[in-house]
Amino acid sequence: MSEDLDNTLRKALRRVDPGEDFTARVLARVAAEARSESSGDMRSANRSVSRLVWLPVALAASLVLAVVVTYEWQARRERAGLEARDQVIEALRVTSEKLDLAYQIVNSPPPSRTPDDAGA
Amino acid sequence: MPDDSFASARAGKPAGFAALVRLHQSLVYGIALRMLMDRALAEDLSQEVFLQLHQNIRAIESHEHLAFWLRRVTAHRAIDRLRQNRRIETIALEDDAEIFAATPDDDPLLRKHLHGLILQLAPVARAVVLLRYQEDLDPVEIARTLEIPVNTVKSHLKRSLSALREKLSGVACVSL
Amino acid sequence: MKIATKCFAVPFLWAVLSLPALAAPLPGRLLLPDFSALGPKATESVSITLDAPLLATAARFLDGGDPDQRAVKDMIGGLRGIYVKSYTFEKAFAYATADIDAVRKQLATPGWQQIVQVRSGKPQTAVDIFVFQVQGESGGLAIIATEPREFTIVNIVGAIDLDKLHKLEGRFGIPKLPSTAGAGVQNPAK
Repeated sequence: MSEDLDNTLRKALRRVDPGEDFTARVLARVAAEARSESSGDMRSANRSVSRLVWLPVALAASLVLAVVVTYEWQARRERAGLEARDQVIEALRVTSEKLDLAYQIVNSPPPSRTPDDAGA
Repeated sequence: MPDDSFASARAGKPAGFAALVRLHQSLVYGIALRMLMDRALAEDLSQEVFLQLHQNIRAIESHEHLAFWLRRVTAHRAIDRLRQNRRIETIALEDDAEIFAATPDDDPLLRKHLHGLILQLAPVARAVVLLRYQEDLDPVEIARTLEIPVNTVKSHLKRSLSALREKLSGVACVSL
Repeated sequence: MKIATKCFAVPFLWAVLSLPALAAPLPGRLLLPDFSALGPKATESVSITLDAPLLATAARFLDGGDPDQRAVKDMIGGLRGIYVKSYTFEKAFAYATADIDAVRKQLATPGWQQIVQVRSGKPQTAVDIFVFQVQGESGGLAIIATEPREFTIVNIVGAIDLDKLHKLEGRFGIPKLPSTAGAGVQNPAK
């Protein structure tokens, strides 16, 4: 049964092709990202000249670093929170499983008595 | 030729990258679709994965590394997406024949129960089942891909299969 | 000399008076052995340690707009800890019962009351369920389940409502119990 189930699952969960145009859509998106980055680069190149007038480079770098670190910390915190949530659900599942086990033992039919047992 | 396309993609040639996408799109899309149970979301996530691959292709060292990287990134992104929006899991698809491959001897009841089981699984457990049965990875490889302990992988597999067997045995009793 | 003694006595007294509070475990909390040495022998293992701050963190990530998650959030709201140790082995009785017995000894202390004790001969399976009572109110739950190839210890600190757990059945992979947990299960205390 176990092997049948394994084979059945493998058949049912074979890889799924997204279709002929998928590759084209990916390439289009790659191209769009590349265009977006290069236009962003040009705009920032123009702005950096004026920025140098207003803001020391070191201060700008520190601000960027602070933003990145804060983002990283928040992302880590979120991952930890989501992991804790999954663990709560897993713990409740195990608890329920064992309560179910107790119930099954209590409600399982008693062993049948053979004629030899009658006098025991 | 996979070897040519890999080297070509690493060299920054669009044709090489396109060949890599074609070669691996069903791997990525299959995981995304069965994790998110929504075609549009799966398409979006799959595109993101390949976009990320394009940006990091030079860090990929070999074909084996590429397959490992794609599975890992797809699974992790899908898990994160599911965790952020649990409502994705409750969207029931009217036609799940695409998600669970229909075959000539297809059992629609099995498909329905598989669908229900997958929906019930927590994100990581779902990824474990998919990596086992779609990608045919063993528990050690699954553990490496998802960066979780091997025993956790085995635990998820055991519970998921047990739940599926229970569902199927219940159906068998009714049909008698 | 007098001043020195006085200055010393106050912090010393504070330390002595606060020691019992620092040393005493939370009521309803069991001290579970470190089973990490069993890890390599086990085919599966689950080890969950969620104290009050982690439970609060988990609650923040449960979506109050989703009925299922709201139910979980509601259930864990009054809890101060959830601890689970579960190990499965390939061979029967690959674990030492002494460690399990050490946990049982803690459940013989005042406050704990056994409400369920079930045994099955085939296979040798035992499930014991205890509740911790604080002034008549539930303050904790403990479950010890032993089978030839698996043992599980669950300790929940705080007021757990088993009816609420029952309502979660069929969701998140939580198995469906035929009726409310505890109903139909003989209470040896009665």
